[in-house]
Amino acid sequence: MRRGREVALALAILAVAAVMALGAPGFFRFENQRDLVMANMPVAIVALGMTLVILTGQIDISVGSQFAVLSVAAGVLAKSGLPTPAAAVATCLAGALAGALNGALVAYARIPSIVVTLATMVALRDGLRWVTQGAWVQDLPPGFQWFGQSQASSEALTFGAVVLLVAAFAWGLGNLAAGRAFYAAGSNPEAARLAGIDPARVVFAAFTITGALTGLAAFANAVRFSQIPSNAGLGLELQVIAAVIVGGVAVTGGQGSVAGVLEGVILLGMIGPALIFLNISAYWERAIQGAIILAAVALDHGKATRALRRADAAALENHAQRA
Amino acid sequence: MLSERRPWREAWFPNGEWMLLVVLAVEIAVFSAIGKNFFTWANLSEVIRLSVELGLLAVALSPVILTGGIDLSVGSMMGLAAVVFGAAWRDGHFSIPAAAATALVLGAAGGSLNALLITRFGIPPIIVTLGTYSLFRGIAEGITRGAVNYSGFPAPFLRLGQGYWWGVAPVQLPLFLLVVAGYALLQHRSTLGRKLYAIGFSAAGARYAGIRVERPVALVYVLSGLVSSLAAIIYVAHLGQAKSDAGTGYELAAITAVVLGGTSVFGGRGTIWGTLAGLFSISVLQDGLRLAALPSELTGVLTGAVLVLTIALGRARRAPRRARQPAPSDATIEEAPEMRNTQLAVLCAAVLAGSLIVAGTNIWLVHSLRPADAVTGAALMPAGPPASHRPVIAMMPKAKGDPYFVSCREGAEEAARETGADLIWDGPTGLDPARQNEVVEGWITRRVDAIAVSVENSAGISTVLRKARERGIRVLTWDADAAPDARDYFVNQATPQGIGFTLTDEAARLMGGQGEFAIITGALSAANQNAWLGFIKERLAQYPRMKLVTIRPSDDDRDKGFAETQTVLKVYPQVKLIMGIATSSVPAAAEAVRQSGRKDVFVMGLSLPNLNKPYVHQGVVQAVVLWNTKDLGYLTVYAAALLVRGQIPPGATGFEAGRLGAIEIRGDQILLGKPVIFNKENIDRFNF
Repeated sequence: MRRGREVALALAILAVAAVMALGAPGFFRFENQRDLVMANMPVAIVALGMTLVILTGQIDISVGSQFAVLSVAAGVLAKSGLPTPAAAVATCLAGALAGALNGALVAYARIPSIVVTLATMVALRDGLRWVTQGAWVQDLPPGFQWFGQSQASSEALTFGAVVLLVAAFAWGLGNLAAGRAFYAAGSNPEAARLAGIDPARVVFAAFTITGALTGLAAFANAVRFSQIPSNAGLGLELQVIAAVIVGGVAVTGGQGSVAGVLEGVILLGMIGPALIFLNISAYWERAIQGAIILAAVALDHGKATRALRRADAAALENHAQRA
Repeated sequence: MLSERRPWREAWFPNGEWMLLVVLAVEIAVFSAIGKNFFTWANLSEVIRLSVELGLLAVALSPVILTGGIDLSVGSMMGLAAVVFGAAWRDGHFSIPAAAATALVLGAAGGSLNALLITRFGIPPIIVTLGTYSLFRGIAEGITRGAVNYSGFPAPFLRLGQGYWWGVAPVQLPLFLLVVAGYALLQHRSTLGRKLYAIGFSAAGARYAGIRVERPVALVYVLSGLVSSLAAIIYVAHLGQAKSDAGTGYELAAITAVVLGGTSVFGGRGTIWGTLAGLFSISVLQDGLRLAALPSELTGVLTGAVLVLTIALGRARRAPRRARQPAPSDATIEEAPEMRNTQLAVLCAAVLAGSLIVAGTNIWLVHSLRPADAVTGAALMPAGPPASHRPVIAMMPKAKGDPYFVSCREGAEEAARETGADLIWDGPTGLDPARQNEVVEGWITRRVDAIAVSVENSAGISTVLRKARERGIRVLTWDADAAPDARDYFVNQATPQGIGFTLTDEAARLMGGQGEFAIITGALSAANQNAWLGFIKERLAQYPRMKLVTIRPSDDDRDKGFAETQTVLKVYPQVKLIMGIATSSVPAAAEAVRQSGRKDVFVMGLSLPNLNKPYVHQGVVQAVVLWNTKDLGYLTVYAAALLVRGQIPPGATGFEAGRLGAIEIRGDQILLGKPVIFNKENIDRFNF
């Protein structure tokens, strides 16, 4: 298995960390690290699902809109008198439902995933704006924020859950038959089919899981506040997709690791705050982020090029057989 | 297969583009029936004019997607090219043609960067252009610091975006047709075009057939950068201003048009004609909804539905032809060779389930979120006979869905009921500054009696407002003003100066006139917030011991504002006050300060009382500065109704505005009063 991207990213993260250690050691204070982790938690959770989707060679650009709808749904569910844990489960189920809709259209109706999720992205976002007219969900029940616990224990709980989730995904993708199926379906669906894997089902599962994880992320984020805006998750899809592909998951499917994705989330998540610590003007932030994405990816371009050639050769062989 | 004579339908519409023509025909039929002045020459030429910039991008993206690639950077390139064009003309004293040439060269250079990384470095196009998407927009924001707005271009140049040939055809149309013709030749009538199809179908196959894959691929990305900057120049001429936010979100709209037009995202299939059909089915939909006074949010919902349905039916249609072949063994998810009835059933079920979910949640959410507001829909579309004597007042917020404007709307609807006017409330749903112009154009075509606009970009919208006045429509501005000759009156709730000074004075009072403070703004390129920032800095000269340490953007996202405030508190621990100057950034900063446990940091700023009530009562937020937004909406509609009925003669110095009583007119400004400072004592008396 190729480890070039993981190494390149680790080097990039170390480089940023070294700059911060020299320029602004306050960056590493516990409070700052904790806040950074909490702020990037939605991206990390959704990125796990997006990893599955991209591994199967698909893409889901509707997660930002799903996040907004599910955040509002979480608040409305909690206000309707549901106990907080039940509301959390219901939000995840609603997310799974939205993901399943994407998944069914992609896997069974066989519409390209970018078309399907482009459609659900605009439809969900505009639909939510139409329904709420921009109103925020306010006056949430007292047991909602921090699950009714103290802030510290609730944050520890969320953090622990995310760590478990990441570990489970990392282990499961590598070692479980169900996990390997995502790689198989993504790198060669026909071979996967002959090996007894139903590629359509795998794709459907990837979208459904992404929806459920988006629900989880929306809920875990919503409980950090005392009111819920109806325009949450703007641009979340780009953040997540950038983290996943910078993390080395091949957009053509079948290749990538959870470790790399986690590194992608960390690298992209630390750049913005690091720039504030270094007193760099906000106006240049976007340009620097773009440059770092390109640099991180170009770092192991040689290997990527060779992989492309290999893929081309494989495709040609495949094509020759078809003819 | 090849020996069969292809039926005419397949020869003419190889990708089922005829379905889009059906969609287009249905749209035209429906909107001719329910839209006002939809089926007119004037409207046709407006639809074309508004489609040109997006159309250029869509046409340029067609061959890119045809090769199996994608270019997400086209919208950002528009922003960068617009800024460079403006800077070269104004600051570099270039002539307009020289500035345009500079922008075009820059576009080609940006496209070359994409091409280089994609073809030489072998990085997938989606990653490269995702990077340049941030990079180009970021450079544009960096060199203008988000705020510089180049305007005052000479009239002959503006004619390129706003004028007509012989009073009928938009000036930019020939240019657009030229580019379309060029791309049609490239894609459909040249060997290069055949190479693009071959590469899109199988890059490896093309390579082994002796095609140098890199060259044609590089060419389409370079051209896409070049055409993006051409679109930017037309956009600048159209809006009369060049700013870093030009073309925001255009990449997705253009991709939607291409994909809707039948170009396969896996490459190898698609036509320029299909892209044009896709483009116009979206822009006719937008225009029609506007003329039918339906909410613009429907555009997104309907575009999504049309997208899924046409693509799905396209696949279903291709099925029978291929089904005659033995089922190929290399079936993949992406290139499904056939569509079985079961799949069609799944599709129908999924679409049905989707619409049921949307409808169900809508009803449920409406009931649970706004039980008291059930009347607003009725007020919008009066059930009575379409009364021609009722004045039709069209009112536009800066952005739909912003809680600030939602509360303005409540007052506006109240005044509409009292004055017997019909109110149309519509506006942009995103950050695209061109959208306000489009909506006003729609209203001019619809011939409303009065237009009231909360202006996002003064230089950009004034031209179209002047046009409205020439057609005899009464024009008001409210909340934020346009050029004085572009409107009859400005309903002035507070000048940018008044807001900036009040905020600074209140901050100084809280801080005792000394110490450090930070500002959390909305978007870095928001014109009004930048104006306030200017006056805040000006007023700070009066308080030499106060220091503004940083300005951070929140992109109107509460969660981002929250995270930015957290970081600011750590980087500048001696900050004594956080000032939010966007609706969501005050509660965002308040939550961050509250969670930090810091009791020594004040939070104040410009926001809505209702969003901040809990924080004001907890003592986290000390002051919210605003005017009565409900009264602002009320006064605007009231004045518009009186103006249409001729009850405010020229030179009037005041009028009676319903429940607000006597209102003063000073010159061409209708005065609402001073900003209100909401705090613990008075905030419970207000509900908006």
